[in-house]
Amino acid sequence: MNIVCCIKQVPDTAQVKIDPDTNTLIRSGVESICNPYDLVAVEMAVRLAERYSGKVTVISMGPPQTESALRECLALGADKAILLSDRAFAGADTLATSYTLAQAISRIATDETVDLVVCGKQAIDGDTAQTGPGTATRLGYHQFTYVSEVIGVDLEKNTITVRREVENGSEIIEGTLPALLTVELEAASPGYASLPELVRSLIQEVPTWGADDIKGSPESLGLKGSPTWVKEIFAPPARTGGLLFDSAENKDQAIADFLDVFFEKEHEILDELWSVDKG
Amino acid sequence: MKEAFDVAIVGAGPAGISAACVLADAGIKTIVLERGEYPGAKNVSGGVLYGHDLARIIPDYVERNCPIERNIVESRIWYLSRDAGYSLGYRDSIFATDRKHNAFTVSRAKFDRWYAEQARQKGALIVPGTVVVDLLRSERGDVTGVLTGREDGEVRAKVTLLADGINSPLAALTGFRSEPKPEEVALAVKEIIELPAEVIEQRFGVSSGDGVTTEVLGAIAGGMDSVGIIYTNRSSISLGLGANLADFADYKLKPYELLEAFKEHPMVAPLIADGRPLEYVAHWLTEGGYDAIPELYGDGYLIAGDSAMLFNGLHREGNNLAMASGKMAAETIIEALSRNDVSRTGLAGYGKKLADSYILKDLKKYRKLGGFFYHHKELFDQLPRLATSAGREMITVNGVSKKEKQKIISRNFRRGMPVLKLLRLLWQGWRAVK
Amino acid sequence: MPKNSKGKEIAEIIPDKCIGCQLCVAECPVNVITMEGAVAKIDPEPCIGCGKCFDICPTAAVIFDKPRKKKVAGAVPRPSALDEYQGVAVFIEARDGHGAEVAWELVGKARELAEKLGTRVLGFLPGTGVESVAEEAISYGCDVVHMIDNLILGPYLPQTYGKALVQLCRQAKPEILLLGATPLGRDLASVVATQLETGLTADCTGLDIDIQERLLLMTRPTFGGNIMATIFCRNHRPQMSTVRPKVMKLPQKDSSRQGEIHRLEFEAPDGTLPRIIDFIPKAADVGGEDINQAPVLVVVGKGACDSQHLPMLEQLAQLMGGTIACSRPVVESGLLPYVRQVGQTGKTVAPKIYIGVGVSGAVQHLVGMQGTEKIIAINSDRHAPMVQIADYAIIGDYAEIVPEIIQGIEARVKRSKP
Repeated sequence: MNIVCCIKQVPDTAQVKIDPDTNTLIRSGVESICNPYDLVAVEMAVRLAERYSGKVTVISMGPPQTESALRECLALGADKAILLSDRAFAGADTLATSYTLAQAISRIATDETVDLVVCGKQAIDGDTAQTGPGTATRLGYHQFTYVSEVIGVDLEKNTITVRREVENGSEIIEGTLPALLTVELEAASPGYASLPELVRSLIQEVPTWGADDIKGSPESLGLKGSPTWVKEIFAPPARTGGLLFDSAENKDQAIADFLDVFFEKEHEILDELWSVDKG
Repeated sequence: MKEAFDVAIVGAGPAGISAACVLADAGIKTIVLERGEYPGAKNVSGGVLYGHDLARIIPDYVERNCPIERNIVESRIWYLSRDAGYSLGYRDSIFATDRKHNAFTVSRAKFDRWYAEQARQKGALIVPGTVVVDLLRSERGDVTGVLTGREDGEVRAKVTLLADGINSPLAALTGFRSEPKPEEVALAVKEIIELPAEVIEQRFGVSSGDGVTTEVLGAIAGGMDSVGIIYTNRSSISLGLGANLADFADYKLKPYELLEAFKEHPMVAPLIADGRPLEYVAHWLTEGGYDAIPELYGDGYLIAGDSAMLFNGLHREGNNLAMASGKMAAETIIEALSRNDVSRTGLAGYGKKLADSYILKDLKKYRKLGGFFYHHKELFDQLPRLATSAGREMITVNGVSKKEKQKIISRNFRRGMPVLKLLRLLWQGWRAVK
Repeated sequence: MPKNSKGKEIAEIIPDKCIGCQLCVAECPVNVITMEGAVAKIDPEPCIGCGKCFDICPTAAVIFDKPRKKKVAGAVPRPSALDEYQGVAVFIEARDGHGAEVAWELVGKARELAEKLGTRVLGFLPGTGVESVAEEAISYGCDVVHMIDNLILGPYLPQTYGKALVQLCRQAKPEILLLGATPLGRDLASVVATQLETGLTADCTGLDIDIQERLLLMTRPTFGGNIMATIFCRNHRPQMSTVRPKVMKLPQKDSSRQGEIHRLEFEAPDGTLPRIIDFIPKAADVGGEDINQAPVLVVVGKGACDSQHLPMLEQLAQLMGGTIACSRPVVESGLLPYVRQVGQTGKTVAPKIYIGVGVSGAVQHLVGMQGTEKIIAINSDRHAPMVQIADYAIIGDYAEIVPEIIQGIEARVKRSKP
């Protein structure tokens, strides 16, 4: 069973801060990491490959330093990693990205059948969750999003059964392969590489594919292939603080003051809340 | 792990990487195991490196874009009381020209990463995020490699170099080095304060790219035996102080509070005014000196750097001793491997190289200094007070004659520190550094 | 202006302003811009100083002082074929014979956008047994509802709904298509956008019209919520956008409103479709309420992660007519389940009142509750980010404060009830 994982290297957005004076991002010293959802995807793929004797290839579209994220995935047990890097890919929105990934997966599929593509649900910098479904659509694969568990794969019938987390519960759904999954964080816990796995991830070669390697047509790649453009960016409207009540000196007084002010100022919201007849 | 190596190095700091560079250059199969997420993640030091020692390992370090913060053109030493102080500085234009990079400040996180990358490019395998938990030994007891905390984590190597720092849990575990006693260790705290480069250049009177280091002695730590530092980086100032760990316990003072008080000193405050604190770190420094150095080599292993207690407190040298000892360890290993003898006798060359080098010579010279400072607390409370009150008296113009002033000063001194005591202090101090 | 070693005036990038969008990398005619880390860097020596990177940079991160008019990216005449696309369409997500509330919120917004554009609001309604929903759609503000009522469109499958919505777009040719960013909506939007090869912007918090260019301006948070970006889709139609529930205001329903309903034929897509074997509804837990729906949330943070005091916090939630939620460390400790987690990797909530107890307000958490109307923070640390942005902050030990607050509320509620 051959599995391809699509991963993305992202800045650790938890560390990114805004400079309040200049309204710009402070990114110096912020590390680039492999998108946490993608690590889960790779872990899940590696376990499936073990269970159904298969291979995992990890691919990623990005600038050259994306290689370190690919190596993180090799350390989790992926067999092979390929970097998709070319100036032509730069400036891509999700439409151009899904095109590039789909082209790369098609190229991989010419050498050996691809049964399954596993991606993280979303990337923590863009948070769009669009690339997975977009790639599935282009490849014509069935897509299963918000997967929390792979219940089973039947290689004879060529089907996969998964559990998806939807609005009010979970859905158990079965479909034919090849398929594309996007996974939730709870789908797997990325393991701790053994020493030989770690060493292999450090020295194994990671080839780079460019636009020609994936037979990408220029109008569909990168900036040219992106219908959406950024007009401007700005810092989110800062919520400035409101009233502070310090309980240190006189706790009872502070709380009483708070309740007085709160009930007075927010009586509209409170009326609405309590007017709903609970009968 | 199936794959075996010629040399396993524990720690990707200055000692370990220096050894790795020399070994890799000689084509020796080397693996370096680092517990931090990346080399430099766990390393903290004042941040001064010496070009001489780095050049002996990577001669073209400047061309290879070594991340240098500032080239040091002036060294200052201050002797402070609580709210006054003496300052002595030496600036030489040669440090901006012919002897450029004699000393320079670095950010350890950036430098260590760069340095490890050089070793990797030369062919050493650098494995981060991996802790070494034990040494592998043969039946006879010689070291045959290391055991890491990862699954399948045995690394077999002909020679093992321990370069895992002052806190080396390995050294304690394996008994190669006893746990340093509290009075052999200093606790140092450091804060990085952000300031625009132009402001730093203005305040310290240097051109772009140049900098100043200041070592501070005196009553900066509530009377404890201590040393403070103020180093200029490109767009920040490293400010720190360290005192003896045993003293901290006795005096019950908190490092963070001492640092805050230091920052408010009238000689320090103007230098860091309006700066933004970026980071606060704490670290152990060895103070043991010559007498605390353990057995540095044995059957199948050697120890280098802080792990070997190679640190000269007075001249703020730790990084360069680490680099030099790492290089010497590597050279010893190369010779030993070629003779196929990595026993204690085969590695004995290491001991000799160290003894012949300035490393052990300097440490031997200053072996008594640590003890001297520790047992003469008056250097850190009474003497600064007396010295600065003398200065205050002398500098104040208040109609009192100089002769009268001299009388006042010597009276103060005699009260605060009898002449004999002062003379003995000076004599012992002289003997300690001779 | 910066110069290279040959003395040529060149462009330079300010690293802290660069958002890593790589537009300059692609635009540079001599290919001298590379990414260093997540930040773009111009190689000074070969730079020819043409300023194209300066033109295209959306964040003014390029220093280039030669006088030139800053052009908007892609300011070329728009293909006239785009004029064929008219109308603001809204995907009506139907559940159990009713339209999802987010669909009505979007219809309300669509009315506003349509008014500015001088066009109509279209409802796109694929489903089964949705005739009554079509009428609901008109009462909420749709002028026309294009409906595909077909048994195949019972359970949601991207293949069937995707084909249906693509068909509706191709037939009705709307210039804008809005979808609620529900799990279903996000899934479906991407499929449709890819098939139509048009632009899609997810999780928009703001929608506006640039009337001169007749473009939809879509604003959304990015970089984990640290920065807002305004995005547009110039040359492709429909301009697609998903919007989270409770971001737009629910409009008034007007049953007297008139509108058209067009019923359209539909054929199932080719090939075998996935089969839904089972549906397991979410287990009811404490409060039995979905934290997305609750109007009031009492959010347990790391500073209040104590099983001993949890009942007291639940009592507060119930009293206020809401339910319990929590931050990530609390889930990791095992005190509350993942379904209660608010934040970047949890749920995005927008309650009327958010009461954070011992919540420090890490960026990843704030991102998940920015839409809150009023924030109350109870914390012992007055410097905690949550305290800084709260409308009301009470500093002290929550274990002592909360019981008194409960008492105080009970007393006031009793008083106000006749």
